[in-house]
Amino acid sequence: MLEALELTKRYGSVNALDGFSLSVAAGEIVGLVGHNGAGKTTFVEIVSGLIRQDSGYISIGGKPPALSRGRIGVTPQHLGLYPSITVREHLELFGRIAGLRRAALTSAIEELAVALRLTEIMDRRTGVLSGGQQRRTQTATALVHRPSLLLLDEPTAGADLETRQAMLDVVKQRAADGTAVVYTTHYLPELTELDASIAVIRGGRIIARGNYDELAADLPGEVRLVFDDEQDLRVSTTEPTATLIDLLSKTDRNVTSVELHNPSLDDLYRSLAVSNAS
Amino acid sequence: MLLDAPGVETAPVDVHPVDGSDQPASRGGIRDSLYRIAAIARHNLIIRRRDPGQMISYVAMPMILMLVLKPIYVRVVSGGDVQVVTGLLVMFSVFAIAIAGNSILVERHWMTWDRLRQSRASAAEMLIGKTLPIFVLMVLQQAILVIYGCLVIGIPMPRSIALVALGIVVWAFSLLAVGAALSTVARSLGELGVISDVGAMVLSSMGGALVPLSIMPGWAQAAAHVSPGYYALRMMKAAINGDTTGVLIPAAVLFTLGAVAGTYAVWRLAKGWGRTRLL
Repeated sequence: MLEALELTKRYGSVNALDGFSLSVAAGEIVGLVGHNGAGKTTFVEIVSGLIRQDSGYISIGGKPPALSRGRIGVTPQHLGLYPSITVREHLELFGRIAGLRRAALTSAIEELAVALRLTEIMDRRTGVLSGGQQRRTQTATALVHRPSLLLLDEPTAGADLETRQAMLDVVKQRAADGTAVVYTTHYLPELTELDASIAVIRGGRIIARGNYDELAADLPGEVRLVFDDEQDLRVSTTEPTATLIDLLSKTDRNVTSVELHNPSLDDLYRSLAVSNAS
Repeated sequence: MLLDAPGVETAPVDVHPVDGSDQPASRGGIRDSLYRIAAIARHNLIIRRRDPGQMISYVAMPMILMLVLKPIYVRVVSGGDVQVVTGLLVMFSVFAIAIAGNSILVERHWMTWDRLRQSRASAAEMLIGKTLPIFVLMVLQQAILVIYGCLVIGIPMPRSIALVALGIVVWAFSLLAVGAALSTVARSLGELGVISDVGAMVLSSMGGALVPLSIMPGWAQAAAHVSPGYYALRMMKAAINGDTTGVLIPAAVLFTLGAVAGTYAVWRLAKGWGRTRLL
């Protein structure tokens, strides 16, 4: 669905993208993770047609972005809503621009209202809504026309648990229906919940790509044993289970509790960032 | 898989080169385009309806001033009643540039303009949909002031309604286009306010909207020709007097101004602002 090849984009002396390549298949969720300034938003802006790359190639469903705008749904990082306009009016605007009419528009709006828990605030102006409600409204405007490609740029930034869960559920459902999703976030556990493949961006290029198990294969986890005298033992290991069994068989002290930590996505990101930098 | 930094092997894909042009998106036929324009126009009409204060003041203020200033104008120049109506109509319609400019500039503040740019709507559709309701309001503003001039101030009934309508439409178009262009260069609502308010005072005064040209010094009369207000005033007076030639020449000047400003606005709005932000 989305193919980006060797994209570059400079802002003055800053290389926002520097040979960025990424492909996303229909129905796939790709979590794009990286530090602030790594190039995530620049990539989203290029794909959505806000800015143009300096060089490189990009294709959405076999067509250039300019010919594919109706097939893309975008949730930018910042909120972009009309404060004096209601939630329903927002959805009607973006739905109509995308070509939805009458029954199809009404049904799409009602479906999203339920999915994103907007039903009770549909006729309220967005200027008086909470941050989480505004986030859900913004996401709904990106989804109303059932795009083939979803670009979600930190959609849950600052959102509460209810908002986050509602969004993740909808994103999962859309991906199951065949939508390709690019999901940028700093909340890495969200990617686990989405069962997303992960693309790590650093310095404007992808430095690692794969699913969690592949990327975390060589990362150490941790085993922690707590003894009855309240002292503990922590061991860093790439095989936590085997190490735990080994430790338990060898110790002659009384163990009161055992903790087994597999490497987290945060560990993964830190590891990749360090290895790439070195 | 950790990717080696220098290069990434990627399977050949169906890709498209950057050709440096902003290719028009495939957005269906004229009906689809009109549908999108109607959606954006409807949306902006709702926004305007919920915040009508600015336009009310630009209708009420000239009405009051016409009444107050009419005796002075009638004493100072012949045709003083037409002068006071057309002069204040021109001046306050120029003030209304701020409405057009504001309506676009706030979209940049709300960061909604980029959201529209990411949608299926083209830049021209967005600009037309955005400005259509304001165009209608500007036409209404001027029409109300002309009718008020006839019924309350006592100017003669126009000999040709069509000429007056043409004058109003052309003037509203050029004001709207200039307002849209200004909204793309202003960095804040305050800056836009200064440009539109001071600009309105200077251009309409230079053009003879406030003080009749006939009592201005020679250099001021010569300088008036660079002001759009001058052509608007000439056009409105000629329209009320039923002078077709007198309407068409300034109308052509104003239409050209509007076309240039409108083209610039479409180009600038389509290009966006990237990472540069407003004040």
